[in-house]
Amino acid sequence: MRQAIVDDSWTGKLRAWLTAPQPIERLALARIVLPLVLLAFQSSRLVHADEWLSAVGFRVPDLGGDWRQPLYIPAIPVGLAWAVAVLMTVSGLALSAGLFTRLAAGIFSALLAYVALADRLEAFTVSKLGPMLALALCLTPAGARYSVDAWLRRRRHPGELLPTHVSGGVIRFFQVFLAAMYSGAGIAKLRGDWLGGDVLWSHLHDNYQTTFSWLLGRAVPAWGWQALQYLSLVFEVLAPIWFALPWTRPVAVVAGLSMHALIGLMFGPVIWFALLMSTLLIACYAPERWLLRLFALATRPPPPGGAAA
Amino acid sequence: MPAVPKTGNPRGPNGRVIAPSWLTPRARRVVTVLAALYALFVWSEGAGWKIADHVLPLPVRFFVQEAELFPHAARDVIEWRAEAWRCDLERFEELDVRPFFPIRRDDKESRFYRAMFFHYRQRKVLEAMDAYLVREQNRAHPDQPIGGVMLLSLRVPIPPAGTAAPRYKRLPLVEYPPEVQRKYWYVTAKAEREQRCAERKAP
Repeated sequence: MRQAIVDDSWTGKLRAWLTAPQPIERLALARIVLPLVLLAFQSSRLVHADEWLSAVGFRVPDLGGDWRQPLYIPAIPVGLAWAVAVLMTVSGLALSAGLFTRLAAGIFSALLAYVALADRLEAFTVSKLGPMLALALCLTPAGARYSVDAWLRRRRHPGELLPTHVSGGVIRFFQVFLAAMYSGAGIAKLRGDWLGGDVLWSHLHDNYQTTFSWLLGRAVPAWGWQALQYLSLVFEVLAPIWFALPWTRPVAVVAGLSMHALIGLMFGPVIWFALLMSTLLIACYAPERWLLRLFALATRPPPPGGAAA
Repeated sequence: MPAVPKTGNPRGPNGRVIAPSWLTPRARRVVTVLAALYALFVWSEGAGWKIADHVLPLPVRFFVQEAELFPHAARDVIEWRAEAWRCDLERFEELDVRPFFPIRRDDKESRFYRAMFFHYRQRKVLEAMDAYLVREQNRAHPDQPIGGVMLLSLRVPIPPAGTAAPRYKRLPLVEYPPEVQRKYWYVTAKAEREQRCAERKAP
């Protein structure tokens, strides 16, 4: 019997961890949901594409390398602005459906990067994350299963085995990035006012306010807001540990989802950021059996006899 | 030896079928390094190391500056507003700019809010804003021409934590109480206002 050669050095262990195959459902979930969330976030801009990208709307003049303007991109003609909006929508939907996946992801990523730079005024955290996530999907076999591409391929090659896994590095990128993002955000809060200031409370009173946050503001005592800040700090700063340890991981997923649910409900338009992070959280760290169950339910053929049966 | 069907996906250990990458092994190594650097830059931005500031050009750095989210408490609620010089009335009145910034017009993701938030000290941008508001108002309401604007911020105090605060409501400028501090960041020069108004009156 042949025995696998095990490299016990730290580089060998790192390589083994990086390359250990991961269920393809993690990648498929990210590919299906992330473009939809990104499109939903951009939708309020897409319907005003002329205002957003052409000289119809207000344009910040060329500031010659000022940090507030990462790159000056002049306004484009109105027709081209609408073409960008249509192409972004089509490529995002195609990526989600897994139709011409690689091409769609490449176009989607490039257009997301363009609009983030072309109008700094409408660029937020989601705008910065979007191009990178779409690019990551472009560089992976994201359309290998649960996609139109996979369906077409299976029609051409009926005997071909359906992929069950992807190379680990693909998923590891999303996992490491997410832990780094949480940890960096947590340290930024630690360096800021989250230990002693009323950060959460202070952000409840402007035009991001929702009915939920207003009611919560009336119901939660002052110490409750401070407690929520401490909980966020513990979760975020130590996120790499919570997600690395198998026995804390499911709790960390639930804690993260709860935190994002609260953020999404409390701060109006921030809901898209909350949904984006929640999708990444589930795709990266939800227990494998949850994901397999989810996809099994979603792809189960309808019972014979239709809905009545 | 893994079983390889004629048309593609190889079956690996434990019956796993691995989706093949379309990148060459060398390209995968490059992408792995770039991906690791990206995660490092994002983390370091939040952690305050700002490594990217030293090695990445501004347009690229922009895409890693995303982890520093709401680190500080707000001291006040900031409202950005505009007043316009009415040529017919010869006085300043509040100008509702929301129709001229239809993208998320009612919250702080509005392009007017964002422009003022980023550029309230940059005269070049404020002059462009002045020209834009005058152009749009005079186009939309030629019967109420304006010659210039005042761009200002309001500092609305935040109540102490845990108190029953009133629901947020956008108020007209005149309804804000005196304790709400006003700061004017830009006023169109008198000569410019008069010239624009004269141009509007000219046949």
